[in-house]
Amino acid sequence: MKRSIRPRAVELSRRQFLIRSGVLGAAGLTAPQLLAACGGDDDDTSAPSPTDAPSGSSPSAGGGGDTLFFENWPAYIDPTEDGLTGTVDRFMDATGIDMRYSEAFNDNVEYFAKIQPVLGRGDTIEPDLIAPTSWMVGRLISLGWLDTLPIDQVPNAVNLRDDLVNPAWDPTGEFSLPWQTGFAGIAYNLDVTGRELTSVDDLWDPEFAGKIGALTEMRDTIGVILLSMGVDISTLETFEQAAPAFEKLEQAKADGQIRRFHGNDYFDDLSNGNFAATIGWSGDVAQIQLDNPAVRFLFPESGATSWADAMVMPKGAVNRDAAAAWMDFAYDPVQAAQITAWVQYVSPVKGVREEVEKIDPELADNPLIFPDEATLAATRSFATLSEDVEAEFDAAFSRIIGA
Amino acid sequence: MSGPTSVRGSVAKWALNIYALLALIYLFIPIAWIVGFSFNNPRGNYNVQWQEFTLANWREPFGDEALTNAFVESLRIAAISTAVATVIGSLMAIALARYRFRGSGTLNFLIVLPLTTPEIVLGSSLATLFLDWDVTRGFTTVVIAHIMFQVSFVALTVRARVRGFDWTLEQAAQDLGASPVRTFWKVTFPLILPGILAAALLSFALSLDDFIITLFNAGSLNTFPLYINGSFRVRFPPQVNVLASAVLLISVALMIGGMMIGSRRKKSS
Amino acid sequence: MTAVSTQDAPERVRRPELVGLAALAGAGVLLAAVGARWFTGPLAVVALALVLAAIIWLVFTAVAGGPEARRRIAPYGLLKPGTLWLALFYLAPLVTLLRLSLSTLPSRFAVEAEFSWEFQNYVDAFTDFGPQFQRAFLYAAVATVLTIAIGYPLAYVIAFRGGRYRSLLLGLVVVPFFTSYLIRTIAWRSLLNDNGEIVRFLDAVRLSGLFESIGIMDNGRILQTPVAVIGGLTYNFLPFMILPIYVSLEKVDPRLVDAAQDLYSTSTAAFRRVVLPLSMPGVFAGTLLTFIPAAGDFVNAFYLGSPSTTMIGNSIQDQFLVQNNVPLASAMSFVLMAIITVLVLIYSKYFGTEDLS
Repeated sequence: MKRSIRPRAVELSRRQFLIRSGVLGAAGLTAPQLLAACGGDDDDTSAPSPTDAPSGSSPSAGGGGDTLFFENWPAYIDPTEDGLTGTVDRFMDATGIDMRYSEAFNDNVEYFAKIQPVLGRGDTIEPDLIAPTSWMVGRLISLGWLDTLPIDQVPNAVNLRDDLVNPAWDPTGEFSLPWQTGFAGIAYNLDVTGRELTSVDDLWDPEFAGKIGALTEMRDTIGVILLSMGVDISTLETFEQAAPAFEKLEQAKADGQIRRFHGNDYFDDLSNGNFAATIGWSGDVAQIQLDNPAVRFLFPESGATSWADAMVMPKGAVNRDAAAAWMDFAYDPVQAAQITAWVQYVSPVKGVREEVEKIDPELADNPLIFPDEATLAATRSFATLSEDVEAEFDAAFSRIIGA
Repeated sequence: MSGPTSVRGSVAKWALNIYALLALIYLFIPIAWIVGFSFNNPRGNYNVQWQEFTLANWREPFGDEALTNAFVESLRIAAISTAVATVIGSLMAIALARYRFRGSGTLNFLIVLPLTTPEIVLGSSLATLFLDWDVTRGFTTVVIAHIMFQVSFVALTVRARVRGFDWTLEQAAQDLGASPVRTFWKVTFPLILPGILAAALLSFALSLDDFIITLFNAGSLNTFPLYINGSFRVRFPPQVNVLASAVLLISVALMIGGMMIGSRRKKSS
Repeated sequence: MTAVSTQDAPERVRRPELVGLAALAGAGVLLAAVGARWFTGPLAVVALALVLAAIIWLVFTAVAGGPEARRRIAPYGLLKPGTLWLALFYLAPLVTLLRLSLSTLPSRFAVEAEFSWEFQNYVDAFTDFGPQFQRAFLYAAVATVLTIAIGYPLAYVIAFRGGRYRSLLLGLVVVPFFTSYLIRTIAWRSLLNDNGEIVRFLDAVRLSGLFESIGIMDNGRILQTPVAVIGGLTYNFLPFMILPIYVSLEKVDPRLVDAAQDLYSTSTAAFRRVVLPLSMPGVFAGTLLTFIPAAGDFVNAFYLGSPSTTMIGNSIQDQFLVQNNVPLASAMSFVLMAIITVLVLIYSKYFGTEDLS
């Protein structure tokens, strides 16, 4: 549909111009492709929307034919709209590969529950690529529900950030390739709070009773609270070490402080003022600000959690070549910079900063996107828990957040 | 009406009328929101804050591809399940209304039971059955589930409608030499048809709108309500309002049509 | 129903109705048993063959018998498809649900549960989810009372004062419910937003202070409080109360009301002694049609509630579809059904009429 001018479009037009001129030059597209790319701008309704949830009616699982199918988190890629050609469309134009992209992830546990009955029985699920969070990747590897990635067909994989090579969750590095990494901290709506927030403890201010949210992602919610209590989450070994955060959260819930636990679905509540503040993800705030500029992200002084979501191929995924082509495309710093400029997370791809600088120099100086030493020093990633301890954490957490 | 009405009485009477009017308005508050926001031009992904009036959404009711696919899927499911359920449910209704027989009490009870079982129990128990059978949940399992609750609904609705039917007409037709089959199609069927049609329409609506039972048995299938529930986390496009309003308009048109036919019949008879 | 003559037609088949009943009941029970996997492998094949045999037997008896036998066997034939469907897809699942509720998952991420007489699931259902059960029944009960309070007067006015607009008014009551249940609930969620139309209106007319003091509002919000959840339940199940009450009121002869008013002199007394008792079957049916689905609902609590207003439906949904703890979810489902059945039986005993439809 034709939308009239809105702040978002105005805001975009500058960036979009820079992006498009940069992309077309750098990717060396031929004239017909260029025309196609420009033509796509005008009918933005017929262009594949990045948000089509899986609609396959065929009971037969397994990715359809030769369409590459990627299930990812919401607001996690630059979309095709308002005259901007998103990465998915640029990929299709550049390679001729048909691709379906959906935002099916809301929460790792929930997504796992969807695929478990299928993969657990040895059947294949529809998507060729999914992007669970690192700890879930570890679980899927240990359950034997993943295929190795065709890394040898991904020359750009050499651009992987050094600190992400052979990570703890995938020691051989053959099952996963990170999509984005980032931080969890406090997201808040200045109109509702009436003041800038300064610490995690602001979440427990009685003034915000019933207007506080928290992520259903245990490692981020418990992690941020534990860090505010001075506990190092990267060295956790037993449940007892984390128990105070669970008690704090349980108490806040009992007091009616917590309005809702949420997955990636908190944009609406935060932007329209139902949430004063919530534990949220750094890049999301950039998206919410498009709707409501009063939304802010606080990187707590006590520390933020850092995480990574990684692309993996579920067992039996058929479109391996197309998946390799996609990963190669996404690991081209020029393309990765487009994604970064939009999602504003920390890219796992080396050389993105230089490319982002060409698009928007301000972004290149944002420590949430290109973290400096001080920022990195204040972030911790959650320890890899042993099977039994993890079960204990999960049970305690799901008892609090679970219905 | 008889008897003198005191001032107090008439005040009470009007108070009651106003109360009823308010109740009726209450019923329409969210409907006004749904229809109103189908004309909104939302700024972000959520069509929940009023921005400005536009007809664009109505010009492109199928502008959201995934939503349209889910809607079509819902219509397919409703069409198949309603067709099956109407046939077997009506047969049950005729049996229950037409004959007096041993075991009718138990069967009556069996038919009422699914309607007095909470949907979540129906949905979860069916899902355990399909899990137990090792069946992948999807289109077929949803159709099966819908037929299950529709059968009971159709049987009870049609039975209520044909209860007043004068079955001696059948006897009369047969005495005049008509075969039982001919009697059914020429005498019985036309007379109970309106009841069957009404039941079919209502159970079509039930299927189209079912969320709880479908959620448990859909697997990766997306129906209209499932899509709305799933996508609400990330977006709420105005096309949802447009399609919902369209379903409302069509239902109202069908209802008014039915009423007019009904009143014409009454007059002619 | 008309009595059918039994003298004509020679009796070629003895007691055809017994054949019909036996074939119907036998086929139903066998099919449910196969569905619930009481019989597996060759036994299941035998059982299915028996189901088929029962159907053939029924048809054969009808064909071989005279018109009279056919007439007596007809209801069983007509009921057969529906009964078998319900046996396989209503009764068998309940048995499976019961079996799974007594099973355990052999490992944390196992897909198939193993039957093990695991009563611990039931203990967990009560100890871990007591508050959710309580809230489900409390909210459903309050919502039911509210639907009567809102629905009865409306049904009354339509039935007795609607005149020739009765069917139009009744149509107006039904119309809102032709839009999707989910979208209606989302509409309320949007309307009740902290900065939404309703809260702003209450602020503007200075009612929010009053509402705050009587507990309808909480720190400037209605959304995601018990009030919002109960309000949503009340709204969504209102027609299930209005329609049955209307049907029972419609049957009341207005002349009877006139006579009662003459007799008791006040219209209140006339209402209490004549109209109200006559409308009780409607209230009874409406209560069941409202309370049962409301107690098992999770949509309203999900969209309009908070973590402290979750109902048992939310928990079942969460355990089944998110935590993948199917045995525990099954136990909770089963308990919910058992409690509702007991409540319905008690309620029917005291207020009941024999006819639910």
